[in-house]
Amino acid sequence: MARIQLENVKKAFGKVQALDGITIDVKDKEFFVLFGPAGAGKTTILNCIAGIAMPEEGAVKFDGENVNLTDSAHRNVAMVFENYALYPQMTVYDNMASALRSKLYKTDEAEIQKRIQWAAKTMKMENLLERLPSQLSNGQKQRVAMGRALVRTPNVFLMDEPLAHLDAKLRNSMRTELKEMQANLGSTCIYVTHDFMEAMALGDRIAIINKGKIVQIGTGDEIYYMPCNEFTAQLMGEPQINIVNAIISEMDGGLIATINVNGNNIALKLPEDERVYQKIKESNLTNVDIGLRPQNVKYSFEPRDGYFKSSVYSYESIGNKSVIVAECADDQLRMIAPNGLSVGIDSDIYLKFELDRAIIFDANTKEYIVRYDEQTFIDLAASMEEK
Amino acid sequence: MAGLTLNHLFKRYDNSGKKKKIKNDFAVKDLNLVCEQGEFVALLGPSGCGKTTTLRMIAGLEEITDGEIYIGDRLVNKVHPKDRNIGLAFEDYAMYPPLNVYGNVAFNMRAKGIDKEEIDRKVREIAPLMQIDDLLDKMPVKLSGGQKQRVNIARAIIREPELLLMDEPLSHLDGKARQAMRTEIKRLINKIKCTTVYVTHDQLEAMSLADKIAIINFGVLQQFGTPTEVYDDPANEFVASFIGEPPMNILETKIVDVDGTFFFTFKDSNLRIAVPKRYYSVVHDGFCCKMGVRPMDVLIGGEDSKGTSEEIATFENLGDERRIGIRVGDVLMMLITEDEKRYKRGDVIKLEVREEKTHLFDIETGDRIREKEI
Repeated sequence: MARIQLENVKKAFGKVQALDGITIDVKDKEFFVLFGPAGAGKTTILNCIAGIAMPEEGAVKFDGENVNLTDSAHRNVAMVFENYALYPQMTVYDNMASALRSKLYKTDEAEIQKRIQWAAKTMKMENLLERLPSQLSNGQKQRVAMGRALVRTPNVFLMDEPLAHLDAKLRNSMRTELKEMQANLGSTCIYVTHDFMEAMALGDRIAIINKGKIVQIGTGDEIYYMPCNEFTAQLMGEPQINIVNAIISEMDGGLIATINVNGNNIALKLPEDERVYQKIKESNLTNVDIGLRPQNVKYSFEPRDGYFKSSVYSYESIGNKSVIVAECADDQLRMIAPNGLSVGIDSDIYLKFELDRAIIFDANTKEYIVRYDEQTFIDLAASMEEK
Repeated sequence: MAGLTLNHLFKRYDNSGKKKKIKNDFAVKDLNLVCEQGEFVALLGPSGCGKTTTLRMIAGLEEITDGEIYIGDRLVNKVHPKDRNIGLAFEDYAMYPPLNVYGNVAFNMRAKGIDKEEIDRKVREIAPLMQIDDLLDKMPVKLSGGQKQRVNIARAIIREPELLLMDEPLSHLDGKARQAMRTEIKRLINKIKCTTVYVTHDQLEAMSLADKIAIINFGVLQQFGTPTEVYDDPANEFVASFIGEPPMNILETKIVDVDGTFFFTFKDSNLRIAVPKRYYSVVHDGFCCKMGVRPMDVLIGGEDSKGTSEEIATFENLGDERRIGIRVGDVLMMLITEDEKRYKRGDVIKLEVREEKTHLFDIETGDRIREKEI
C-alpha cells in the first residue's frame, strides 16, 4: 500500500485542458473520492495514476517516488471499471485468478486459492466461483470485478464509477456493501464517482473536481456544511440547496437581508452570530446569496408570525418524504414535507427560513463567505478527521 | 366516466415464422385497469415487465392477443392508431430536424389541413404552458435535452388528445434536468387535466407524478393504488421491495412464543421484535414467514431503551441524512436517521422497531399475510 501524490499535473487533449494543475496527496490506506460532473477530468486523473495517460507537466509519486517514467504494468495498481471487463469464457474463479497467474505476478496455486477464498468471502460470493460471467447478474459481475482487484496486493486500488452501471436499487445496496468491505480492506483506494451519495458515504476525504481543476478537498462534513462556493454546495444534497439572493443592510446594529418574493420585498433579520456579522461587515458586502438546505425551510398553510407568503409550484413525493416546490423571485424553493399532504398547486403557502442554518455566499463571485455556527462545524470536521 | 379501461388484456409475441414451435409466455397477462377521466396513472415495473407493451397496445402500435381496450366509452380494439385520438411522447424526441420548433409543434395540424390561423392560435396557446415560447424559432439541434422533451410533449398535447401516453420521457435527462422536468410535467398535467398513462421503471418518478400507480411484474399486475397505498400497504413482497429508496428491509423470521407474547426472531442474530397484537390471530409459535419494515421505521433507542443491542456494520453519512446498517444473519438491515451524531462501525446502539409498521409476507409466494378481520 502506498501514499499517492499528484503535483501540479497537467494534461491536454488537443485544445481541451483536461487537467489544469491537479495537486492531491492521498494518504496511505485512505479512501479518497474524486467527485464532479461529467467531463470534469476525474477519469483522466485515475489514468495518470495508473500510467494509462501521461501527464504533460507535473509529477505522479508513489510513496514519495516519482513514477512518471514507470510503465503501467510496473506501477502495481489494480483497476475496477464501470464495465466489468470480465473474460467471458472463464469461470469466476479463473477470472479472479487471472492476474495472479500472469508472468508479472506469478503466484503458486495454493496461495491463489487462499486469496480467492478470502476475497470471495469479503465480497460475499463464495457460491459464485464456478459460474461463468454470463450466468451472473450485473451486481454480481461488479463484485467479481472488485474481487479480481482484491486478490492482488497493489499499491493502490483505482475504481472508476464501479457502480454507475447498476440500477438505483442495486447501486445503493452495493454502496453499502462496499462501505462495509472498505474497513476490511485496509488499503489506499481512489474512487471516481459523479453520485454525491457515494462520495459522501464512502470517502474519508473528497476532492471536488470541475473543468480540470480542484475546487475543494475535505471530508464529507466539511464539504456539505462548508462548501467553498455555490457550485460545490449545489453538488451535495438531493433535492439541492436553495440559493436566494439578498441585499444586506444595517439597522439598529443588526443586519437585515432583503429578499424578493414574487415582486414583494421581504426584510428578514439575520440572527446574531458574531462570526457571521463580523465576516459580512469585513467583506463590506451588500449583495449576498443565502444558501439554505431544503430541510431548513419551514412552511405553513396558514398565515403565521414570521412567515412570508408564496405560492405552491408543485408537490412531489420522493419516497419516504415529499418535496414542496414554492415560487420565490425568479427561482424556486424546495423544502421537505411529509407524504400524503393535500396540497393544491398554485395555492398559498407561508414560508420561514431557518436562517441560523444558513450558508452565506458572495453573490458576485459565488464564493463562500461564512455560515452560521461555523465553529461547530469546524470542530465536527476535525473530530471526523481524528477517527 | 372512465378515461381508459383495459379489460382482460393479454399479449403474446408470436414467433410463428420460426420452425421450432416455442410458445412464448405472455408478455402481458390478464391485465385489468380502469383509469378515471383526468387521472394520471403510472405503469411501473422493472425492465421487461410488459409496461411498454401495454402502452403500445393502448396506442394501437401493437396487436392485442386477447382482451378489450376502451378509450372513454369507445372500444378501440379495431380502431386505427391515428383515429384513437391519443397524444404520444416517447423517450426519443424524434423531431423533424429541418423544421424549427414552431414547425415541429404545428406539424400534425398542418398535415391534417387545419387552417393557418387556428394552428397559430393553438401553438401560441400551448407554448407558454410548456415554456417554449422563446424557443419557437430555434432548430432542434440547438436545444438541450430538457427543451427537446418539452417540445416533444407540446407536440403531443396540442391536438387536445383524449388520452396522453408517455413512455419514460425523462430517462434521457440528467439528474438536475430530470428533477426540474418532473415538476413541469406535474404542473402541466394538473392544468390540462388530460387522462395520462405514463410508463417508467423509476419508482421515484411514479411516486412523485402519479395519482395512481399500477405495478407490473412478469406481465402481471401486482397492485393498483395511490402512491400512499402502495407505499404503506403493499400487496406483496415484490411491491414492498420495489417502492421506496432505500427499499424495505425484508427478513426471514421465525415467530416464537415467550409466555404468551409473540416475538420475531432471526437466524444468527439476537434481534427480537415484538409481533403486533393484530397478527396474533394468524401466527403461532414456530411460524415462519418474512417480516418487512421500512428503514424509516427502525429507530435508535435512547439510554433506557428496551431494544436489543446491535453492533453497527455500516455507517453512511449522506449529508441530509445518515444510514446505518446492522447485520441480521446475512442480511443488512438498514435504518435512516437525521440524528446528527456521527457513529462508526463497531459502535453499539439500541435498536428499536416500530412494531405496528411491520408487514408479514409468505415465504413461498411473497403474498402479504394480513391479519384476519373480525
